[in-house]
Amino acid sequence: MTAIRRWQIALMIVGVAFLALGGIVLLTDIKPTRYLGIAGWFVGALIIHDGIVAMVIFGVSVIMRKFGRRIPGVVIAIVQGALVIAAIVAAIVVPEILKQGIGTANPSILPLDYARNLGLFYAGLAVVTGLAIAGYLAIFARRQKLRPSISHD
Amino acid sequence: MHPTWRLQRLLHQFRHALAAPSRNPRTAVVIGRLLAAAFLLCFATGIYSHFIQDPLPGMAFLTRPVWLYQVSQGIHITAGILCFPLIFAKLYAVFPELFQTPPIRSFPHFLERASIAIFVAASLVQITIGLLNTYQWYALFPFPFRQTHFALSFVVIGSLAIHIAVKLTTISRYWRKKDSFDDNGDLVVYDEDPDAVFDQPDELRRLTGKPMNSGITGRMFAWIDKEPEETPPPGKATQKTPQQEAQTSRRGFFVTIGLVSAALVTFTAGQSFRVFDATNIFGPRKNDIGPQGLPVNRTAKAAKVIESATSTDWNLTVSNGDVTRVYSYQQLQAMPQYEVELPIACVEGWSQYAHWTGPRLSELVDSVGAKRGATVRITSLEQNSSYAVTEMQPEFVRDDLTLVALALNGETLDIDHGYPARIIAPARPGVLQTKWLSTLEVMA
Repeated sequence: MTAIRRWQIALMIVGVAFLALGGIVLLTDIKPTRYLGIAGWFVGALIIHDGIVAMVIFGVSVIMRKFGRRIPGVVIAIVQGALVIAAIVAAIVVPEILKQGIGTANPSILPLDYARNLGLFYAGLAVVTGLAIAGYLAIFARRQKLRPSISHD
Repeated sequence: MHPTWRLQRLLHQFRHALAAPSRNPRTAVVIGRLLAAAFLLCFATGIYSHFIQDPLPGMAFLTRPVWLYQVSQGIHITAGILCFPLIFAKLYAVFPELFQTPPIRSFPHFLERASIAIFVAASLVQITIGLLNTYQWYALFPFPFRQTHFALSFVVIGSLAIHIAVKLTTISRYWRKKDSFDDNGDLVVYDEDPDAVFDQPDELRRLTGKPMNSGITGRMFAWIDKEPEETPPPGKATQKTPQQEAQTSRRGFFVTIGLVSAALVTFTAGQSFRVFDATNIFGPRKNDIGPQGLPVNRTAKAAKVIESATSTDWNLTVSNGDVTRVYSYQQLQAMPQYEVELPIACVEGWSQYAHWTGPRLSELVDSVGAKRGATVRITSLEQNSSYAVTEMQPEFVRDDLTLVALALNGETLDIDHGYPARIIAPARPGVLQTKWLSTLEVMA
């Protein structure tokens, strides 16, 4: 038996033991009437992941594949990166803004102006992204100028 | 006609369209390592927080350093937030696997995919309910948060172990960078993936003769991949090689995940770690905001104690079997007063140091003849709370820093901070720093 095989077996045993433990906690600590709610969240997670987010990312990937070729790769990477950062920060902060709108138990919970802060963050992100692209294109243009003179020597 | 083979072709086309330089096993291994580390950190700190609240018989906890719980729970929440970019990155890297053909090849393959479905769903639910809990958005939970979060932690870690077992060959092949790329900078491919090759003759072609680029979807995918007509102008010597382009794409991916992770820590971790306080713009709590400059979780109004806590005949009953002593507020003030600098550290991750003044708990329980190893049952005036009655273990009871605090930052306790008297102990979760004290019972 190889080392990898031995590790696989050990990990499988640990994994199944933990799953069993999770099942026991679920059965003993939580009322059966609540299982449907947990199952609903699981199904919801799979639907949102496989059905909605996956399809949106698929669409974006395909569009980038088609139209991305005309633009320098680094510029695409910078723009894509900025959009991904914006989306992930929104995933964390937008629920916070929504809950703040509903109201909190006391004023020290969610005390900041998150909508304004998100706007400021996006403004900063846009500026940094613009500077990064401009900086890259400036270097790119300089290299383009330098290249022929080197080849003449 | 031939629905199976049409589906196969569609899935091939999907996978082909999704092929990208950053979507490769090496990326999955690099991100997977970080995500596994974040999961294990969350699990370890979560288990610590669970058992310090519900200790098993015989368990004892450290009372020093005083910031132990604050840091442990701050790590729990911060690492939990970092799981979002990491899990998105991981799912992005393995995205084409969602469209494998045939969807199920064998019983072991079914088990593998089913375990991944549970792993993904459990992980997404776990980090999402954790985040929403820090926003106190309980209305979204049709289940008790704490028990569910606890049960799912075992499901997540168990699924993680199984996932690592299943992928161990791939993980070991792509563990090191030098084994993952050849001298040209191309990814080393161990198992050729027929799905990723666009014009691979497939079963539908054999049966019907239709090439890959026929039909609506086929034409669409072919159009997507059509190379641009115009060739780069001559003399444009900076045209990059495919390896360089791929490297740019891969680096862009990792830099993005690094930047978004850094941004999330910078802009939220101030709720747990003072060094980030100045940049805390997204944390659900902010240091210095709250009554007497300290955040509050449960207010006196919510706990329905305004009347009982401000009553002139309030007193603290301390008992040990048949021995009972009743302390009025003035009598507590007349005892030796100690000053301590201790953090309030909430299970939700926020924490803040404060200056507390009051008699020592150990001196109060000694006045009724408590033994050194005795546990103390603490009862609050608060209503409708599972934390109204809690037990404090001897190591915390006997600690010199554990006070029955009467004052906060030099002022009489605000009613929302537990007036007339509250517990403050080192390295304990905020939910056990009982406010609006009513009785202290020394247990056998």
